[in-house]
Amino acid sequence: MKRRKPLVPTSRRGFLAGTGLAAMCLTFGSKYAFSEEEKALTFYNWDTYIGPDTLSDFEEATGISVKMDLFGDNDELFAKLRNAKNGYDVIVPSSDFVERMVAADMLMPLDHDKIPNMANIQKRFLEVDFDPGRKYSLPYMWGTIGIGYNKEEVEGTPDSWEILLASDKYADRIALLGDAQHVLQIALKYLGYSLHSTDPKQIKEAEDLIIAQKKNIKVFADDNGQDLLASGEVALVQEWNGDILQVMAEDENLGYSLAKEGGLLWEDCLAIPKNAPHPDNAHKFINFLNEPEVNAAIAEAIQFGTPNEAALKLLPDSYTKNPVIFPSEEALKNYESAKYLGEEATKLYDEAWTRIKAA
Amino acid sequence: MESWKRSPLVFAILALPATFWLVVFFLLPLGFVWILSFGEKTSLVDVEITWTLANYWRALDTIYLEIIWKSVWISALATLLCLAVAYPIAFLISFLSPRMKLLMLMAIIMPFWINMLIRTYALIAVLRRNGYVNFIAEWLWNKANLVLSAVGLGEYHLLGEKFEPLPLIYNNFSLMVGLVYVFLPFMVLPLYATIERLDKSYLEASLDLGASQFRTFVSVTLPLTMPGVVSGVILVFIPCLGSFLIPDLLGGTNAQMIGNVITRQFKQANDWPFGSALSFLLMYVTFGALALRAFFAARGARRTEE
Amino acid sequence: MSDTTPAAKAVHREKSGDARVAQETTAIVRPAAVSSPARTSRHRDPVGPLEFHRRKWLWAIFGMTIVLLYAPILSLMAFSFNNSKRNIVWQGFTTDYYVRAWNNASLFEAFTNSLTIAIIATVISTVIGATVAVMLWRFRFPFKAPYEGLMALPIVVPEICMGVAMLTFFNTIHWPSGGAWPLNLSAIIIAHVAFCFPFVAIVVRARLAGFNRELEEASRDLGASEWQTFRYVIVPFLKPGLVAGALLAFTLSLDDFVITFFTAGPDAITFPVKIYSMVRFSVTPEVNAASTVLILITVIATIFAVRLQAPSKAVE
Repeated sequence: MKRRKPLVPTSRRGFLAGTGLAAMCLTFGSKYAFSEEEKALTFYNWDTYIGPDTLSDFEEATGISVKMDLFGDNDELFAKLRNAKNGYDVIVPSSDFVERMVAADMLMPLDHDKIPNMANIQKRFLEVDFDPGRKYSLPYMWGTIGIGYNKEEVEGTPDSWEILLASDKYADRIALLGDAQHVLQIALKYLGYSLHSTDPKQIKEAEDLIIAQKKNIKVFADDNGQDLLASGEVALVQEWNGDILQVMAEDENLGYSLAKEGGLLWEDCLAIPKNAPHPDNAHKFINFLNEPEVNAAIAEAIQFGTPNEAALKLLPDSYTKNPVIFPSEEALKNYESAKYLGEEATKLYDEAWTRIKAA
Repeated sequence: MESWKRSPLVFAILALPATFWLVVFFLLPLGFVWILSFGEKTSLVDVEITWTLANYWRALDTIYLEIIWKSVWISALATLLCLAVAYPIAFLISFLSPRMKLLMLMAIIMPFWINMLIRTYALIAVLRRNGYVNFIAEWLWNKANLVLSAVGLGEYHLLGEKFEPLPLIYNNFSLMVGLVYVFLPFMVLPLYATIERLDKSYLEASLDLGASQFRTFVSVTLPLTMPGVVSGVILVFIPCLGSFLIPDLLGGTNAQMIGNVITRQFKQANDWPFGSALSFLLMYVTFGALALRAFFAARGARRTEE
Repeated sequence: MSDTTPAAKAVHREKSGDARVAQETTAIVRPAAVSSPARTSRHRDPVGPLEFHRRKWLWAIFGMTIVLLYAPILSLMAFSFNNSKRNIVWQGFTTDYYVRAWNNASLFEAFTNSLTIAIIATVISTVIGATVAVMLWRFRFPFKAPYEGLMALPIVVPEICMGVAMLTFFNTIHWPSGGAWPLNLSAIIIAHVAFCFPFVAIVVRARLAGFNRELEEASRDLGASEWQTFRYVIVPFLKPGLVAGALLAFTLSLDDFVITFFTAGPDAITFPVKIYSMVRFSVTPEVNAASTVLILITVIATIFAVRLQAPSKAVE
């Protein structure tokens, strides 16, 4: 007679132990999910956008440990925040996305009483039209999008978008940014329109301009335009000022300039998602980031423009007088800051972009 | 093949895990997305299911159909290239000694356990203007020039005034290279699995009967290994069709595949219903192709029975 | 007999002698044995018609592919020692970035997560994939053809679509996303298994197609039960297919980005997702260092797996 070994051990003890363990896991798991204001904070930030010691300094000062996750662009941030239980406490959206998130009811209003260091921020950053009264956000860093160029290869100083958008002088040596909004924005500015345009005719004009220029453009580089410039892949890029500054530090043949037709004046802000698990800690963190020394350390490290007046006083001239970080008022004349243009406009821009890339 | 009724218990045990997973963790989520494609955006994040066909009408616009067609072409070409490279390799490996077999198989598979993003960036380092290929090309160019000047033809600048780096990146070439680079193991593994168990005496018999190597390959080897070939083709063509990272990272200004458009709908464009409609359109197209293939396979099977 | 094999496909025939046959000419052990017994002298013997492992052009293709596959990897590893924040130009040797990567807690955690997910998902997918492959091979049942079609669906669906589907699904049924490790990875594991097991099924089916049913019948005739037949007759035959399928599943899971991106919560970051966010700006040598470590671990693990396999290889 054959003796068959049972396929599954059916000892009762084993079964009970297993269930007990599972139950314990679930209880402790949910305990962590519901506990209030434990000494922890989850910070969702751009890459290389914080000082080297900022987080550890914060932990030392308050005992709150910070876990920082990184995202690559605002859309990623937005997609993550669509899930109301995303678990983030502090996020860093750009100005137009603050507006968008407020419209989507994703943000928690800030309690300004908990952020006394707000007083350090320059006045003009406290009165903005994308977030009146700074109810939902505070400025973090600001800057421009301009032209990064290789001094050896490019004649003179490029000061107009023409060289990127309408000329074949540097054919195949040009890189533009990689998304609908930023590329169409500079096309609109070049054509003399506002970068807030929602007029389909103007957008079509901008689209046609880019399509005509496509044969001279090497690549639409999402975030690594500065790498392409540094490695010699291209000679002209449309890029963020801070990124170009970083490569300029390693190679003195690279330069950055603004376009006379104007472009995007961007601002990244600190905000708190609506269902943040640690709102109190979040406020403390935002306050900490606005302390003069802390802010100065961050600004020095990442080389972007800080809106913190007190911090500016602590920073060396090499930073405060750097035209790439702080351009003159004259150069900024035609620069506009980003606004949320509505879902319909988003669709128009996206369709234009699809057509540009398919052409 | 026996009827399931003969051993229902065995059938149930074998069928249950996969069926459960398929239904609950695959079909159900897809169902949600299908329903979503009939929805309309009521606000920034809310969608109302109005059972509208507007999204599908928009997806059938020429621009999107053109992009789908282009994606099909690119994927077909990449699949063919993969097959051309993978078949000889799988063939060779299957004839090696058992130890070497595993070693060589591992050698081919190894690179693909490394994160695709990293490999793509590494590929950029090879292909770019100041990358390795151009480095070697420039070296060769210099050597050639030396030879030319030695022969006295130096002044004519036969090879051009200056070394022009080869444009190997941010164009369709790099897109192809990237796709083949990433999808090669998906072709090698099923091919190898089939070729390995091929009874080599068939080949010997065919050669003994006087057929040439080529004839043997076409009439004996290929048909016998066809299941592997088909598996490999499916495993490569279809994911290729929906890829978006590689065109994004390696392609030039023209490299837009349907995967990129769909991704954009779920991110920048924030139009989930439309994105759902587009992806379902793509799925219908590919499913149609699969059904066509099954139809021909059934026809072929019936014909061999006659 | 001369070594003139015409190209059967669009492959380049390399005439250069750079592909020297560097291994023994072992006899192919098959019942209908091929003519050449084991010999040590190689180059004087003409290449037999079935001695494909001695064909130079095959080795040439193989060699070229290996070179092309590994060149980017090797450059990646070399640049992990680059003393520059950016990866572009070589600026001196340093091991700083390895220290940085080691101390980067979130990178480490992401890596551990990825490995855990891959191992668990591979085990589950191989079991599920193999069982369904055997079931499809052995039985016929009503609606079999549509069922097979459905089985192919996870491969057809664009990854992004599936990612979104998973996201919506877990959101709607309020799947617990927090929790102790590894429970917080459960959503990702489930999603990975869902798209991995059909691949395993395909590979195993391709292997099964060559299984001689008479062996199964013989085993049954000899008195073996279902389970015994399965375990002692079918599974050993399936082994190469199982290994190939498991390798495939492991690769897919470890490498996956899109689906993981959508199903991962803030505390369940995986390696590819982490790399993606780090790499968006530029690839720093730190990422290279982490990848090199991952590569080394993979190589070691594989050698280990091969060693484990060695005894049973004699049967093949």
